[in-house]
Amino acid sequence: MLFRLFLPLLFCLLILPAKAVMTIEIVGGAANRIPVAILPFSIAVAPGMPGGLLNPAEVVAGDLGRSGYFRMLDTTDVAVPPAEPQALQLPPWKSRGADAVVIGQIRPQGADRIEVRFWLYDAVRQTQLTALVYTTTPEGLRTVAHRIADAVHQALLGEPGAYGGRIAYILKRNGRYELQVADADSQNAVTVTASPEPLISPAWSPDGRRLAYVSFEDKKPVVYVQNLADGSRRAVAKFRGSNSAPAWSRDGRRLAVALSKDETSQIYLLDLLTGEATRFTRGGALDTEPVFSPDGQWLYFTSDRGGSPQIYRASLATGTVNRVTFEGNYNVTPAISPDGRTLAFVHRRDGRFHIAALDLNSHQMQVLTDTLHDESPSFAANGRLLLYATLVNDRGVLATVSVDGKVKQRLSQSGDLREPAWGP
Amino acid sequence: MKFLAFSVLLAALLAGCADTPSKEAAIEDRGSKAAEAQSTDGAKIFEATRVETKAVASAVPVSEAASKSGDGVKTSGAAIPLVSTKTTDSVQTHGVAAPRSEVKPLADGKAQVAADTKNAGTTAPDAADGKTAAAQDNSTLPKPDAVPSWGDLKNPESPLSKRRLLFDYDSAAIRDEYRPVLEAHAKFMKANKDARAILQGHADERGSREYNLALGQRRAESVFKAMNLLGVPDAQMEAVSLGEEKPIATGHDEAAWQQNRRTEVLYQGE
Repeated sequence: MLFRLFLPLLFCLLILPAKAVMTIEIVGGAANRIPVAILPFSIAVAPGMPGGLLNPAEVVAGDLGRSGYFRMLDTTDVAVPPAEPQALQLPPWKSRGADAVVIGQIRPQGADRIEVRFWLYDAVRQTQLTALVYTTTPEGLRTVAHRIADAVHQALLGEPGAYGGRIAYILKRNGRYELQVADADSQNAVTVTASPEPLISPAWSPDGRRLAYVSFEDKKPVVYVQNLADGSRRAVAKFRGSNSAPAWSRDGRRLAVALSKDETSQIYLLDLLTGEATRFTRGGALDTEPVFSPDGQWLYFTSDRGGSPQIYRASLATGTVNRVTFEGNYNVTPAISPDGRTLAFVHRRDGRFHIAALDLNSHQMQVLTDTLHDESPSFAANGRLLLYATLVNDRGVLATVSVDGKVKQRLSQSGDLREPAWGP
Repeated sequence: MKFLAFSVLLAALLAGCADTPSKEAAIEDRGSKAAEAQSTDGAKIFEATRVETKAVASAVPVSEAASKSGDGVKTSGAAIPLVSTKTTDSVQTHGVAAPRSEVKPLADGKAQVAADTKNAGTTAPDAADGKTAAAQDNSTLPKPDAVPSWGDLKNPESPLSKRRLLFDYDSAAIRDEYRPVLEAHAKFMKANKDARAILQGHADERGSREYNLALGQRRAESVFKAMNLLGVPDAQMEAVSLGEEKPIATGHDEAAWQQNRRTEVLYQGE
């Protein structure tokens, strides 16, 4: 009898929403990972020092370890973290297999600020590689830790890291669509727009202050631009028919968009001040997914004017159009690396959709992923990492892959993740 | 004994569900669901929707200096005031009075429409068959020459209740089997000048969302052009796309995909 009483209650508890935690797992790593020891930072105990500070070493080790390029040594047995270079003994770390060692300290500075220093050493040659100091508030400590990871990555690999950026994506859960902005390590996710109808195609303005996206709340696709600072937004393309695929010009004043108001889906350039849309593509084929090249010369886009969806580029100066992709009969969703040299896109092969990269000089193409339902590739600001969306066990997850295809991560959360865009 | 087992289970569930609230949990329950009206075919028409937006701080600026000391730029945490904006969409309503048209068979077998309905140049009646004799009682079968009315939109016997046209893979070509459906809708719109149709194109889930949006648009435009050819003016229709975002079948196989490659005909005010 009591069973009957409890059973409905049990079912009620089962449908409580799961706690939303994003997890990141490494799926593939570089062949030779550099062994690094990140020692816990020494946090000063002094009057005026804020309590409960996170140790930046955890964030730095997390970033570098997940990147797939480094192997983190265990540093949990360090009893007293060295606060200064003089307190650091390198030879024991060299014998433990470290190629590089990081130490750091945090001291109070003024009323509510802290100073964070770190030193990076080559453990083999026993030389100092980098040392930097940052000033911040306790709330900014995590951002500083990401900067330190960037600096260590740069010093050891010769190219910038991508740990300090932000990502935007759509999370579908409980029947709602949420546009979220999070740190590149998926922490501090904030929902900036929530809607009962679909949201797609978020696009960061070049200054990182605005997001354009497509919303279906008006019963059809409409392009909105939203200010991240205060959440205010307006519909910038709500013409007759469908409005979608926003892409920012480099000066942030125009959006290239796909509009169907005149003649099926064509690309227009929309002036954000005047609201005027100037038609850019002609011919009445299906044209969509425009993206400006970083040097501002070209507009890359998807078109089926040749009979199958392929990627083309048009000169913004002359309007001349050239085809860019030739392999296979389905190549869509162009993304250009910040140095303008690599095109990433979605390539269909044997009915499966993979992320591929094309070197725009040599025209060599490489399929980067072995996941099967890939969408929406987006370059990190360092041009070395691609963020994209895929399906794993029928659930939408985000994933990253290095441009050489070797290093892979997967980001998942309860709910469906899709449409990621890496911020500037 | 059973009682003990269930209390333990209950306690375990309660413990598992006790969580520190996350930032996202605070937002989760706000906002109202869209009220949805169902048309006869299951296609959804969206009423006022409530969309919420929220502020987020821009990237935190941090200063860097060489190991000699330097003074820093101030960083700030992410103070986030909540701003919510509401977007409402007013849907035009339309009276749904449905005058029944009376039909009398004439000597030569053709049917004639009752006097109070508008004559909008209807097409020639289909060949009369034995069924027209039954027209004298209040049957729901629409008569070939009857001027279509708003009531017919919901009449399951009328071709007007057919709202969904399916398409082949990668195609926007209208299959022959839909010709009578198109003709019925064209006839309706010509007879009811204030009727406004939304042609909603869809695509199956495979491939890029934006490309599928454009594919769906093509399918909606295909129906738009077919209706144009049947005499419906541009102003009475709008072709839009929902891409792959609103599937009616949720499987990941051809059986589901073929259901999702479609155009829906919706009328404002239904």
